[in-house]
Amino acid sequence: MSPLRRALVWGIPFLVWATLPFVATRHIVDLLVFAGLYTIAGLGVAFLLGQCGIVSLAQSVFYGIGAYCTAWFCAHKGLPSPVGVAAGIALSTGIAALVGWPILRLSGHFLALATLALGIIGQVLFLEWDWLTGGTLGIGGIPRIAPFGFAFDTPLRFYFLVWPIALLLLVLHHNLLHSRSGLALRAMRDSPEAAAALGVDIHKLKVQMFMLSAALGSTAGSLFAHYVTFVSVDSFAIDRAISFLLLAVLGGVYTVWGPVLGALFITVLPQWLSRLGDIHAFVFAAALIAAVILLPEGFGGAIRNWWRTRAAK
Amino acid sequence: MTMGMETVDPLLQVAAVSHSFGGLHVLRAVDFGVPAGSLTGLIGPNGAGKSTLFNIISGFLRPQRGTVRFEGRDITRDPVQTRTRAGLVRTFQTPKVFGKLSVRENLMIGCYRHLASGVVGNMLHSRRSRLELELMHVQAAEAGERFGLSEVMERPAAQVPAGMQRLVELARGYVSRPRLLMLDEPSSGLNTKEIGQLRELLQRLNREGITILLVSHDMQLVDVASRVHVLCFGSIIASGAMAQIKQDERVRQAYLGV
Repeated sequence: MSPLRRALVWGIPFLVWATLPFVATRHIVDLLVFAGLYTIAGLGVAFLLGQCGIVSLAQSVFYGIGAYCTAWFCAHKGLPSPVGVAAGIALSTGIAALVGWPILRLSGHFLALATLALGIIGQVLFLEWDWLTGGTLGIGGIPRIAPFGFAFDTPLRFYFLVWPIALLLLVLHHNLLHSRSGLALRAMRDSPEAAAALGVDIHKLKVQMFMLSAALGSTAGSLFAHYVTFVSVDSFAIDRAISFLLLAVLGGVYTVWGPVLGALFITVLPQWLSRLGDIHAFVFAAALIAAVILLPEGFGGAIRNWWRTRAAK
Repeated sequence: MTMGMETVDPLLQVAAVSHSFGGLHVLRAVDFGVPAGSLTGLIGPNGAGKSTLFNIISGFLRPQRGTVRFEGRDITRDPVQTRTRAGLVRTFQTPKVFGKLSVRENLMIGCYRHLASGVVGNMLHSRRSRLELELMHVQAAEAGERFGLSEVMERPAAQVPAGMQRLVELARGYVSRPRLLMLDEPSSGLNTKEIGQLRELLQRLNREGITILLVSHDMQLVDVASRVHVLCFGSIIASGAMAQIKQDERVRQAYLGV
């Protein structure tokens, strides 16, 4: 790629990203913030599926743990936000290790069902342990993130916080894929026996990836809590886990930036279609089905394939 | 004293290994050793128990009885990856290349057992992570040249011809610098000319100091082995040089059918 083209390929999306929140309505910017949060949580689900072949329906639990840790430590205890984020990550990865160690010996549908069970257990505990989570009443009064007195207290400001974080995490993920561990992951996906015969500890690697995925879910949950300043059990039900899985599949699990496209699709498109009136839910569902059938590798995969074909010509 | 012991003790020692599937006794108290630096053959007709024995040595199967020792250490209960890290590397009867990875990446991963960077270091692109990546590239390029794969390095491994996939697997094993390289029927699917090339390659690797255990039913290939064990109905019925084996009455009956 020539330097000019490279500049265009990176520059145009950057300019769109940087100017969009200033021309879009507050409501759209709010949706874009959610797209950023969902990108972070969905990235965890996407690489589990794409690199390890693990279908996870438990991401809502880790998203919830991050949110409740932030609510607990920052609202109840008055501690600074990094404490909430770190506590969420520590608790999530701990639980992921504890639960992942036995269930990651399963595979395929059985593993998917085991993660679904984890998702449902999480949902029930968030509701029943109301002494901790506030149950349906939730926990309010979560402070904004405000480093050096600058509060990220509007959708516009939060937009410029959440997307750089998402980008940083995407870069870290890219680094991981192009390293010893990343090669081992991709090898394990293609042939687990051969990978083991070259010294890859498959089970350990899967558990580590499950922990990493949980850490991403938790980080997104903490940011979510700081953004909406109120968390309740409704936000961490199993349908949230399905959304994360859906965005991963739609965006494409084999490209690093696929989850960004998937997250934009499931947050912005339904709102944009709502102007169609009652029929919008039907149109969205039809769009979902069409996307899954026509683009088996997701938006990311389709764009990458188109790009490669074009480059080959 | 210790020096003497090392030359006497084989690199791999299989002792009294028995295994059965249901009521079928596949292996009956099998004993054999692979001396360090040797090119040892294990032959036998179909159904003799070669693959079962191979899987037991490499850790894909636990024997019901007996022990497997590697460099004097009991590894009978060690998982596959622990054995690999100790230097025992195998290939598969049907080549198991990483199909979506390029040939280059297939070879790069051969280094895995020697590297130690962790997930977090890899994400942060640490110095160690970068050095390891560089090392993997260098080793893959060297092996690619050596095994005649330079032309296909960037192609997905699933898209190269079957004979070449076998070579990719072998080269990947070579990159891992094994103490013992175990090859499972490496000549299946190859034509006579390719088998000839494989023979030369194995001799060359062996001369460079890699101990090889070759499991095959292909007499033309096993000829390269300095010592051969014949497995028949789960027991070792003869051991010795190939010329000697060919004269053995029981072997002729059981294996050659003459």
